[in-house]
Amino acid sequence: MADEKTPATADNPYTQIYTVQSGDTLSKIAQKYYGDASLYPKIFQANRDQLSDPNRISPGQKLRIP
Amino acid sequence: MKKLSVWLLPALTALLIVGCAGQKGPAEQAVASAESALASVHDLAQKYAPEQLGAVEAQLQSARDSLAQGDYKGVLAAAPALSAAISGLKDAATAKQADAEAALAKAKDAWGPISTDVPKMVDAIQSRVDILSKSHHLPKGVTKDTLASAKSGLDAMKSAWSDASNAATSGDFTTAMSKAQAVKDQATQIMQSLGMSSS
Repeated sequence: MADEKTPATADNPYTQIYTVQSGDTLSKIAQKYYGDASLYPKIFQANRDQLSDPNRISPGQKLRIP
Repeated sequence: MKKLSVWLLPALTALLIVGCAGQKGPAEQAVASAESALASVHDLAQKYAPEQLGAVEAQLQSARDSLAQGDYKGVLAAAPALSAAISGLKDAATAKQADAEAALAKAKDAWGPISTDVPKMVDAIQSRVDILSKSHHLPKGVTKDTLASAKSGLDAMKSAWSDASNAATSGDFTTAMSKAQAVKDQATQIMQSLGMSSS
């Protein structure tokens, strides 16, 4: 079951996964997948189990894209 | 000579009548045996080989008609073919029953994994559709039509999945799997249209 740090998408194998590249930000990733950078909180919330700060992501991190 | 011919025709006629009457019993027995044999496979054949059953029933009816008309010789001549037809019908129905049961067992085995997969695919698509619906623009490769199609596809998938689940609940795993696979195929297509493959 999902809790605050483990979102519901965590156990869904069909949730899209994106591997962070150098220079990426959540806003850029949101722009790519949603067409709208302002939707970056959706990605942050889906990855609360590995992200504590939406401004801090690292190359190689595998992020869920809900 | 004249005395002989006076008695010859009646004697021959009597012999003929006795001969025919002698075949009546065996002919009746042949029809009764065929009816009994067919009755024992009727339900199985009705389910698994209905067309072949129809043909055999027609053959049996022909034998009954011949019996009613007193054509005992005809009944007895047709009896072996009728018996072979009933035997063939039983073999065919039994084989088809075995195939159907094997297919059902296979479908039942396949139901477990797909019944887990498909709802998760639908959830993932729903999540993406909900987010894209809030987007001021759409991502590259996704048009308004694509999104609208994904939304209507979601409704269709949920309905079809409900049907598949109901079929599985009632034990009809063959139907359940057929419907489930169709939903999964549609979900895969929608995910591709929304650019949902992982990288």
